[in-house]
Amino acid sequence: MTLQVAPPDVGTSHQDRAAIQGQSGWLVIAEQESRDLWTSGRGLILLFLFSILLSAVTYLTSTNQALNFLEQRESVNLVLQLAVAVGVLVTLVVSADAISGERERGTLESLLVTPVSRRSVIAGKLIAALTMWFATFVVTIPYVWVLARGVGILGQALALGFCVGTLVAIGLGSIGLLISGVCNSNKTSIAASLFLLLILFAPTQLPSGLPQGWFFDVLRRANPIDSALAYISSILVNGHSWTQDLSYLITPLLTAIIAGGALVLAGPRLVRLTPGVHAG
Amino acid sequence: MIMLLAGVLSGLPVPALADPINVDVVVDPPVISTVLGDHFEITTEIKNAGTAPTGEILAHLNVASIEGSVYVDPEDWSSERSQQLSLKPGESRDLSWEIQAVNSGRFAAYVVVVPFGDSVKGTEELKISPLVKVDVAQRTTLTAGGALPVVLLVPLLIGLAGGATVYRVRRRRVTGT
Repeated sequence: MTLQVAPPDVGTSHQDRAAIQGQSGWLVIAEQESRDLWTSGRGLILLFLFSILLSAVTYLTSTNQALNFLEQRESVNLVLQLAVAVGVLVTLVVSADAISGERERGTLESLLVTPVSRRSVIAGKLIAALTMWFATFVVTIPYVWVLARGVGILGQALALGFCVGTLVAIGLGSIGLLISGVCNSNKTSIAASLFLLLILFAPTQLPSGLPQGWFFDVLRRANPIDSALAYISSILVNGHSWTQDLSYLITPLLTAIIAGGALVLAGPRLVRLTPGVHAG
Repeated sequence: MIMLLAGVLSGLPVPALADPINVDVVVDPPVISTVLGDHFEITTEIKNAGTAPTGEILAHLNVASIEGSVYVDPEDWSSERSQQLSLKPGESRDLSWEIQAVNSGRFAAYVVVVPFGDSVKGTEELKISPLVKVDVAQRTTLTAGGALPVVLLVPLLIGLAGGATVYRVRRRRVTGT
């Protein structure tokens, strides 16, 4: 059963309404959600753990004196791939908590009575989740600088990581929001999202020496994370041009379009209260 | 000749004599000094010095370390290390080899010409170019000491910001403001 939403003017202060009417609803929600994420310390704790991981990998790489010139390019590739994969992971975790978490904490009801369309709520929450990706990318910059400055691929690596990572983050962030809207329990939502990410990430760990027929190539290209990471490798390690392996980005782009489109279409039905869930 | 004569006399099968690939291989420049990571190019001129066509032959580039125990993977140095050609009598061809210095130290680059195709008997002699001495100077771009400031400072700054935020949130909860 869906709770009937009160008219826009009920339960909203004049100041709130003025603020919401003064700018787009999605912007207000994005601002509020981002503030909650970063001032509660939740975002910073995830970012701290992320920086510890990158520090460990970067330091281990820099202590290896046997690396030749090309292997140093591969180490830039490794750190960038790790940054994209973990950055997308934390974005997915934040978006998976966005709706189901509000339901469990009993704060969704108060959000529903604000004069903001449910599509704007979804858009605002997606943008707030994406701030997590942008923050992880900013943290990645000094690590990539340390590894890439000597091999002349710093600008290329950063531009590549930003473009590809943002595309994947939009797609998987949207999927996380869809899962969060469908699941009644926050635990289920986060577990399902993590499981999905694990499924998508696992093929990237297959040894490259294995025989790779057409089926492997189809699987790789159908997987938005695997194909995005393969695109990064083809440019950074193999020295291909940006347009040479552009077909690798079809799946990440389609994922962003399809999941984003599904959010727009199903958004009003996803942002709702459900029976049996604590409502504050 | 002695083997041939002995073989004929004894009735034993005679091993085929080697068919030399009658080409001259000249390489330029003879010495290269470069820095780790830089690209350079060497050129080889292969000339058919015989009176018959060479048939299909393959020029193949190789790189070897000539000091210490540096492991060299020639594929890292050049992605295209084989060029196929055939030469008429007196004809010559210039071949260019794009190389990137991926290890520091002293190396020898050389081109070997081998026969190519189904007609290869396995007894042919190979022709090897003079070596190009390649001195690659070290360029240290990544050290543990150089990475340390970033590796320590970034988590420290984020940890301090996160700690301060969590402390402020808890304090606000306690004071109820």
